[in-house]
Amino acid sequence: MLFGVAKIPNLAYGSLYILSSYVMYALMMHLGLEPLIAALVAILVAGLASLLIGELVVKPGLKMPVSVFITTLSVAYIFEEFFRIEMGLRPITLPLYPGVTYVLGVPVSNHWFLILSASLLMFLLLTVFLKYTVLGRSIRAVAESWDESRRLGIDPLKVLRVTFFVSGVYAGATGVLLTPLKALTPTAGWGPLFTAFAIVALGGVGSVTGTLIASFIYGFFEQSMTYVLGSGVASISPLVLIILVLVFRPQGLMGRVE
Amino acid sequence: MVFAKRSAKDLIIGKIPFLTVLAVLALLPFLNVGGFWLDVLTMVNLFLLVTLAIDLYSGTTYYLNLGVSFTFGFAGYSLALLNVYYGIPTEYSLLLAIPISIFFSLTILLPSLKIRGVYFAILSLLVPIVFIGIVTAQPFSLYLGGEGGLRFKQLFLDFARSLPPGVRLTFLQYSYYYISLTAAVVGYIIAYKISFSEFGFMLRAVGQDEELAEGTGINTLKVKVIGFLISSTYVSIAGALYASMRPPVTVDLVVPANTLIPPLTSVIVGGLGTLIGPAIANYLLLLTYEFLWGLIGRWRVIAYMLLLIIIITIKPQGIIFKAYVEAKKFLRGVFSE
Repeated sequence: MLFGVAKIPNLAYGSLYILSSYVMYALMMHLGLEPLIAALVAILVAGLASLLIGELVVKPGLKMPVSVFITTLSVAYIFEEFFRIEMGLRPITLPLYPGVTYVLGVPVSNHWFLILSASLLMFLLLTVFLKYTVLGRSIRAVAESWDESRRLGIDPLKVLRVTFFVSGVYAGATGVLLTPLKALTPTAGWGPLFTAFAIVALGGVGSVTGTLIASFIYGFFEQSMTYVLGSGVASISPLVLIILVLVFRPQGLMGRVE
Repeated sequence: MVFAKRSAKDLIIGKIPFLTVLAVLALLPFLNVGGFWLDVLTMVNLFLLVTLAIDLYSGTTYYLNLGVSFTFGFAGYSLALLNVYYGIPTEYSLLLAIPISIFFSLTILLPSLKIRGVYFAILSLLVPIVFIGIVTAQPFSLYLGGEGGLRFKQLFLDFARSLPPGVRLTFLQYSYYYISLTAAVVGYIIAYKISFSEFGFMLRAVGQDEELAEGTGINTLKVKVIGFLISSTYVSIAGALYASMRPPVTVDLVVPANTLIPPLTSVIVGGLGTLIGPAIANYLLLLTYEFLWGLIGRWRVIAYMLLLIIIITIKPQGIIFKAYVEAKKFLRGVFSE
């Protein structure tokens, strides 16, 4: 979303992912908060951190996408190093959503259902927000053209601020939802970041539907390749697929040609 | 006469500082700087080639090739594979690895040149990521050394072993240093010549407005491909030399944070497309980074990154080239009095 609005790659997303997880961990361990409250606070912190990164780091470099690339990457390293120094490399975990449900006789952790429903809800919310609210429409207008939207009386910088916050919240939510499934280390942010970038590129920049379709293709392709080739090579097979798609269809599946 | 007078002044302002720096760098091993700093400077010299490659291509055409770290690492892996599986001594596999790496970089990265802008940048960044995945994944990791990397004899090791034990290390350090310095100086001079040649102007024309350049009769695709070829040659030489001096070859060579970000930062802080700016930034920034280690230890990454963010945020157009122009003006003023 941010990529579509600002036309800049923000590489600090992975940091928001680990930030929210570490914050949730700290809130639960040191303050004894309930998981749900800790998660919500952690997601909010990620949103605010994203807003701060946007204001201080991204906005000054809007005219030079290359420099934003470097500054946001620097932010990512600052987070990584900070957690490396403060928390060490020892992986930490967050609790799973309790309970197990039997689907066709196979036990499935309720956490998967939480992830499924949360991501569907978040997708619906985002679609409704972008399509039916004034603010959401402004975001799409700004994504279309900065100059045109300015003429319509929209303040692109204000829209950008909202975009930063919302995308930070989404990155933070991803963190607290996924960390219970895999251990969290200071370097854990890179995987989701590259996956997210690859999916956005595959789906077509700025197209929410394209992104959704692309993430399903990504997931299914990776799983089926795991079945065929074994887990090692499978993890990179979607990336190879994406590179091939982009070579033949640079604008992505649902993107438009500029 | 006026002309002669001016060129003498220009010689003082233009060439003398360059030659002074060169003389200092050439004499450095004899100035008792210590083995650590000599090693650091060797690597900084090699990184200059990568910095120049990025500046020469991305700094002029604005096609941000983030696949640089793939080319760098691929050259290293080619060298190691030739050495380990074909028994070719490092000295020769070094020479063979360079064309191999250029060929594969062109084959893999060139199709993405059809794509413009940020898409190209993202696509080129995915290439090293995929390569890292391949190297560390079964079954390839069995052949490519996985996380531990591929071990082989470093450059000139056999010859060094024929020397008395006391001078072996010094010999290796000095020879590596002078090889890297020669590569850096020759690389800079060639890059400078290219940048101010007709071809250099064509590269800039592509960066300014590709359609307009096409309209004026420039074959933009040809210009981009040749530019890419030159850039890949620089990076392949740097990667192969680096790997030959520092075995084992591991994925660290391909990780963008190690082999893309430092030179890319130098290019931006130095001033895109100006060559001298990024070249000076290359030495200043990388030496600062090493220096910070002694000063604040583990916090150096954070301090360095904060410093970078501040510099880039305040002056996105780069600061070194401007400072260089000002210094030149000042010198000119001093000499004209």
